[in-house]
Amino acid sequence: MNTTSAWRQRTPRDWERYVNKQVHVTAHGQQQHRGWLHTVDPVTASVVLVRLGDAAGGCSVSVVMGHAVEQVEVVGEADEETAMRLSSLFRPKEREARAGGGGGE
Amino acid sequence: GAWLGSAAPPHERPGARRGAEMKKLYGNDAAKIQAMEAALQLNFDRNCDRKQPKYWPVIPLRL
Amino acid sequence: SISACNEPGTDAGSLQTEQHARSMMRERFLRCLLSMANKQIQFDMYERVKVNATFGASDIDVLNFQVSDLQTPIGVQSEALIRCQDVISYSFDM
Repeated sequence: MNTTSAWRQRTPRDWERYVNKQVHVTAHGQQQHRGWLHTVDPVTASVVLVRLGDAAGGCSVSVVMGHAVEQVEVVGEADEETAMRLSSLFRPKEREARAGGGGGE
Repeated sequence: GAWLGSAAPPHERPGARRGAEMKKLYGNDAAKIQAMEAALQLNFDRNCDRKQPKYWPVIPLRL
Repeated sequence: SISACNEPGTDAGSLQTEQHARSMMRERFLRCLLSMANKQIQFDMYERVKVNATFGASDIDVLNFQVSDLQTPIGVQSEALIRCQDVISYSFDM
């Protein structure tokens, strides 16, 4: 069963299994979205999908609001390079060191 | 509802409560996540103060 | 609100795994939101409403999007708040 409430009620570890997978997301009104799943917001269950362009950079991003997600279907796995591109996608390059500071490890 | 007299609930610091909740949700990363959220919320509050945006559409599409 | 994880038998190790999953995904989501500032965003909303706007910020519970130059079907609203509940999806280019 893949109803909207079912998706929102998953646990973080359920959602995590979809990270870096190629997915088809069905949203309200039978809208179809496809792309690499970058993340699921654990607060709102919103899904961030990425369609990667050529290696030079450009990509397009779609976010489906958690309340509108009706179904998520895995259709493919990322190779190592794709997974790397996905994880570095929104990282600020220069401020990285400072932004990560403050946590005593 | 039951009126419990003049005894007000004990004062709770919302910040402390939120901190504890964040710790439970995010463990060792709680401080980092909380800092990022604070930065985002600050942007939002500052922009709203300065630009005074009005809701669009005026009536919610979905009630 | 956030779903609690109170399954019986949850030990410290699996709590930590869950916290780690949650913080990794939340951080990715917050960085995505931060990266949207000043970008052109297309919003697909209920009732088949589609609008474009320049993104400003979102509040952290993601209840409202603050945008500028919102191109509505009846003209441009220079400063606006969009209710997240009205939105089905939004997209932008990086």
